[in-house]
Amino acid sequence: MDFEVVTPHTQSELLGAIAANQGKNFRIGAGYTDLINQFKLRPERDLTVINIAQIREDTFRNISKNDRCIELGALVTASDLLGNDTVRKEFPVLCEAASSVASMQIRNTATIGGNICNASPSADMSGALVALQARCRILNVKGERREEPLVSFIRGPRQTSLEKHEILERIIIPQNTSAVIKSGFEKIGARKSMEISIVFLAYHFQLSESGIIEKAGIACGAVAPVIPFADRACAYIVGKRLNELKDDEKEAFAQKVMEYAAPISDIRASAWYRNEVLYNISKALFE
Amino acid sequence: MNNWVEITMKLNGKTVSCRVKPSSLLIDLLRDEFKLKGAKPGCLEGECGACAVIIDGNAINSCMYLAINAEGKEVTTIEGLGSDDNLLDAVQEKMLSHGAVQCGFCSTGVAMSIKAYSEKMKALGIKPTREEIKKTLEGHLCRCTGYIKIIDAAEAVFEEGSEM
Ligand SMILES: Cc1cc2nc3c(=O)[nH]c(=O)nc-3n(C[C@H](O)[C@H](O)[C@H](O)COP(=O)(O)OP(=O)(O)OC[C@H]3O[C@@H](n4cnc5c(N)ncnc54)[C@H](O)[C@@H]3O)c2cc1C
Ligand code: FES
Ligand code: FES
Repeated sequence: MDFEVVTPHTQSELLGAIAANQGKNFRIGAGYTDLINQFKLRPERDLTVINIAQIREDTFRNISKNDRCIELGALVTASDLLGNDTVRKEFPVLCEAASSVASMQIRNTATIGGNICNASPSADMSGALVALQARCRILNVKGERREEPLVSFIRGPRQTSLEKHEILERIIIPQNTSAVIKSGFEKIGARKSMEISIVFLAYHFQLSESGIIEKAGIACGAVAPVIPFADRACAYIVGKRLNELKDDEKEAFAQKVMEYAAPISDIRASAWYRNEVLYNISKALFE
Repeated sequence: MNNWVEITMKLNGKTVSCRVKPSSLLIDLLRDEFKLKGAKPGCLEGECGACAVIIDGNAINSCMYLAINAEGKEVTTIEGLGSDDNLLDAVQEKMLSHGAVQCGFCSTGVAMSIKAYSEKMKALGIKPTREEIKKTLEGHLCRCTGYIKIIDAAEAVFEEGSEM
């Protein structure tokens, strides 16, 4: 492993470093829990790492909220999410996803920006954020910003819509409009601990006082090249009473989730198994 | 040729400066430069936790951490536990008395995770459940003990805390 490192401490130093490296082969480094292994597996020549781990600005680091949304800096770690009251109480899906990442030591360094930008279909926190219909705020070298829904920001395995002169700055999650929620993260791995998802289902339902589903967000992981938002399944379930779903409705819902799955067979599981698991956990959501 | 970078950190209580190759990992800096061999190279892929050290109160895997990012931080290795009057830290005492150390390869990493977690929980005044303790230690592989004794030892550290 051999590369040059540039370590900006402020946003302007960061933008300067990205601008100065446009003609070169560079990568952004945050928590390094994906990168180090990638560098070892596929060494790159003449590589520069723009090391954002020491950026101090709040915009990359803090968790803030207003009446419309809650925002997460790209450098927020899985452990930061677990320690945040708002996330724990109002967005359990994100908290459970963060808690299911690897181990405490990795959660202490793994950032949400890295989880998203690595663009793995089995990225847990990214999956929870897709279910929450989060948006990405992207900053370019001129200091201009654009926003894009996370679900379209992720283009394929290891591919995002980021241009070479851009960086992910912040993630924006719309506030809940109801205080009654059913929200969680179902992760299936080969063992209980330290396991990359074979399949996951991230769900976030907002209910009326009387238990009718008013808004739904569902994302499934490791079953397609990206992390799909299952909008047809969401549309199907909205308007129904959560606790009174009939068996055929649960099955119809699970079928609709399955429409988004085009899994592959790999070292962790076969496509057949992934389909079966996704169907079963989708159906079991309402049991 | 790479440009080496000067870093300053607090290592086991002492402020130290050194020059590092930008791409070098913290585990190599600790073991090769500072001769602190407590952090073990197990898998070097983030899986086993044998290389765990504490940075600013958080346990991390030093095999996945750039040495240059220790700049300005407080780094504690197993060599930094204990004190002048007490050679072993309470975590180490409990691990010994509960038979949680066999070959010892995983033990330094385990001790660092228990230490970081127990300090945090004590600061918050929380006594974690056995399940929570297990969850905290999921990133440590041990091929000897079967884990039960390690978890017993960690639980005992918290018992101690509540008596104080
Ligand atoms: C043993 C082990 C177990 C793991 N288990 C899990 C698991 O259970 N679930 C899971 O989801 N993940 C898991 N991971 C993967 C990894 O820990 C996460 O994806 C983590 O969130 C990555 O964040 P990072 O900060 O370490 O990213 P880095 O490794 O620093 O970066 C990852 C990618 O994102 C890019 N990047 C980072 N930040 C930005 C930014 N702000 N703007 C633009 N690009 C950026 C980098 O260039 C790189 O391509 C595991 C990893 C290991 C080693
Ligand atoms: S050696 Fe670092 S986690 Fe195994
Ligand atoms: S005591 Fe031998 S690996 Fe844990």
